[in-house]
Amino acid sequence: MLNSTLIQPIHRTTLSNGMVVLVTENPTADIIAARIFIRAGSRWEDPTRAGLNHLLSAVLTKGTQTLSSLEIAEQVESVGASLSTDSTTDYFLLSLKSVSADFAEVLELAAELLRSPTFPAAELELERRLTLQAIRSQQEQPFTVAFDQLRSHMYGDHPYALSGLGTEATVTQITRDDLLAFHQTHFRPDNVIISLAGRIPPETAIALVEKVFGDWVPPATSLPTLQLPEIVSTPSCRAIGQETQQSIVMLGYLAPAIVDTSATAQQAPTASTHPNYATLKLINTHLGNGLSSRLFVELREKRGLAYEVSAFYTTRLDQAQFVAYMGTAPENTAIALEGLQTEIDRLRTVALTDLELQAAKNKILGQYALGKQTNAQIAQTYGWYETLGLGADFDVDFQAQIAATTPAQILSVAEEYFIRPYISLVGPSSAVEEVARIV
Amino acid sequence: MIRFRNPVHLSSLLVTPEIARVSLTVLDNGLTVIHQQTVATSVASVDVWVRAGAVREPDDWCGMAHFLEHMIFKGSDRLPPGVFDREVEFRGGVTNAATSYDYAHYFITTAVQYLDATLPYLAEILLNAAIPDNEFDRERDVVLEEIRQSYDSPDCVAFQVLSETVYQNHPYGRPILGTEDHLLQLTPAAMRTFHRSYYQPENMTVVVVGNLSQSEAIHLIERHFHTFPEPVACPYWAMDAEPPITQIRRQEIAMPRLEQARLLMAWLGPGLDSTLQSMDEQLHNAYGLDVLSVLLAEGRTSRLIWELREDRNLVQAVSSGFSLQRDSGLFTINAWLDPDNLERVEAIICDRLSELATAPVTAAELHRCQRLLCNDFAFSTETPGQLAGLYGYYSLFAHPELVTPYPQRIRAIQADDLQRLTSQYLSPYHYAATVVRPLE
Repeated sequence: MLNSTLIQPIHRTTLSNGMVVLVTENPTADIIAARIFIRAGSRWEDPTRAGLNHLLSAVLTKGTQTLSSLEIAEQVESVGASLSTDSTTDYFLLSLKSVSADFAEVLELAAELLRSPTFPAAELELERRLTLQAIRSQQEQPFTVAFDQLRSHMYGDHPYALSGLGTEATVTQITRDDLLAFHQTHFRPDNVIISLAGRIPPETAIALVEKVFGDWVPPATSLPTLQLPEIVSTPSCRAIGQETQQSIVMLGYLAPAIVDTSATAQQAPTASTHPNYATLKLINTHLGNGLSSRLFVELREKRGLAYEVSAFYTTRLDQAQFVAYMGTAPENTAIALEGLQTEIDRLRTVALTDLELQAAKNKILGQYALGKQTNAQIAQTYGWYETLGLGADFDVDFQAQIAATTPAQILSVAEEYFIRPYISLVGPSSAVEEVARIV
Repeated sequence: MIRFRNPVHLSSLLVTPEIARVSLTVLDNGLTVIHQQTVATSVASVDVWVRAGAVREPDDWCGMAHFLEHMIFKGSDRLPPGVFDREVEFRGGVTNAATSYDYAHYFITTAVQYLDATLPYLAEILLNAAIPDNEFDRERDVVLEEIRQSYDSPDCVAFQVLSETVYQNHPYGRPILGTEDHLLQLTPAAMRTFHRSYYQPENMTVVVVGNLSQSEAIHLIERHFHTFPEPVACPYWAMDAEPPITQIRRQEIAMPRLEQARLLMAWLGPGLDSTLQSMDEQLHNAYGLDVLSVLLAEGRTSRLIWELREDRNLVQAVSSGFSLQRDSGLFTINAWLDPDNLERVEAIICDRLSELATAPVTAAELHRCQRLLCNDFAFSTETPGQLAGLYGYYSLFAHPELVTPYPQRIRAIQADDLQRLTSQYLSPYHYAATVVRPLE
């Protein structure tokens, strides 16, 4: 197998203001990448302000007390660096990358953006308009239409129900005061993790982060807490008719969060992984990942029903999704649905052979190692685990959990979660509505 | 399996001083091997590039090169369908392939110790593809799904219309995937002819990047890429030279379910096959066009993004790229925008090109573009897979040792080069435009 621990060990430090610093020294290339995580993201949004994190991320880089939007961009681009912001369901992210010599300068700029953005009103209006257009444009893609339908059906009132962009109604309502308030609540050093990887010794990196962020004082208030609506399981089939060339057929199941949120686990001093997380990742690999996966072989190779057929299991702080999907000719909609369902049901009744299990383990562990090659990938992986509360050790634990999984565990986990799917269909009305009625 | 266009700014090669251990060897059978040892990683990549892209297709075999790429994975007489995929993935590796106009390529990325075990399978399916009759019809259904999926993507459809508008004679104007009508006429026998004709050592480059020595790499390749099929003659397409664009060629289409309009503009750029210019001059011009695309539309401070998106709020997004191809490169500017702004944005873009042709850019602006491109290059050469892809792509055009380092070449570009290239290639009066509007 690939050796995924060839890189130097990770150095972890907590500054006196509570900010966590992770450093992975990797002298291979003259590059440093950093990922700065804030424990925010769309799960922290008020439902009437859905899309706030996305809008905040777009406007954050467009003005500070001392710099205009143009000046900020000039600072980054004149040294050929990259600096971008992003928000996901579970965290807010600022990513930067530069050649080693320019890194300190770019990091200083990143700190100024995170600590003292001004959210200029004109920039907010510009990004709001662009976001509203982006929300409409997403509807051009049949896959997105199908996934939106599935997600909103599965999550109901939970913030995971929406794409990070929010809706036209909520984005229209977000004010500059909303951005300022959210920033003040969540952007504080004891809520921030910075993860660096590249050609920089750990002591140099820590001194640099200390210099740039060390005087950022956390507010006296305690960190925000979150009360989210319960996710209630109500699986059924929904269809949207539109005149596309292909039908999209999608099955979704509620699946465990990565972190164990059971009462006993929550009393433990540190977070632990949900016991079924690794097993479901392994099931996902076997079922829908790669050219030798079960869905690919059975539905594409043997039956020619699809070009794209795949599965994914999201990694989330709250209840996640396990999804299998394909695009197929409209006249094959029913056959495709039955094919996907049959392969998933088979996981509940027929144990994987030793060879199948070994293949899935090798595949997921190999791909896991291949996903940690660049400095940006390394910084992302360790920073994310820290943000989730699992710590960088999860890197090793996860691989051990995969290696220890048995066929019996796979059967029982499949039986527990793959009971009745949420189904989302998108395609010509004549094809999908009839199928939805029968289901 | 995926349709692939080259990444815009890495459209060309590139050897930097840091990665100087790149070697190129031509084996006795005519096969080219490019190798680089990367000691700091346990990952290795092999990427096989074949000059057997869509340009090799006779007109009525449109879609053949890409369909063949799918059929390669159906194995040989000795290797049933699916075995290759399983062997690679069982060892934690990944494999895939892509087809474009000038090439098809096939790669494996895996732990270096498994190259011995997986590479023979890749060689076997590439050299001895069986193209079994019974798999042919089924896999054609898969390709037909791929075509349907592309028809559901407005950007794919728009780019195809643009290509047809730009290239009226040259096969660069054809759809790489073909069409349903074309595919239904293809036969396994014709595909075998295409394969036996073009999957020959003189058309192939095998790139190996990972922690193995040059002699180990060459030994490995010599052993497995040894016996090629007996070559057969294949009908070919007598390419006419593409005439220059002498006016504004405009195509307008309307699409259902469209939420915003698209404006695609294209200019013919230099290729790398000219007999009138040295390779050096051609590369210099190609890289100059890379710089121009950055100057126009990469980063918030670039001219078009600043003016059209940030300052005047006329577009959702605007992008530009130069895609280097063997016979003629393509310079494009694309905008996503409200239909009401289509004419205005097109006029502004033309104005800005006129300005570029008459007034030199400032040193600071040129420097910004050069830094961005040089760093993009550094950021895109971190892994064996990225490096192998880059060398393989470049091998289609020239020999690495002929080329001075990419960053050095980028830094050699002067303000007056940009002015000259704009007047020579990016005329505001001679270009192709595709406009896509929402269907009323």
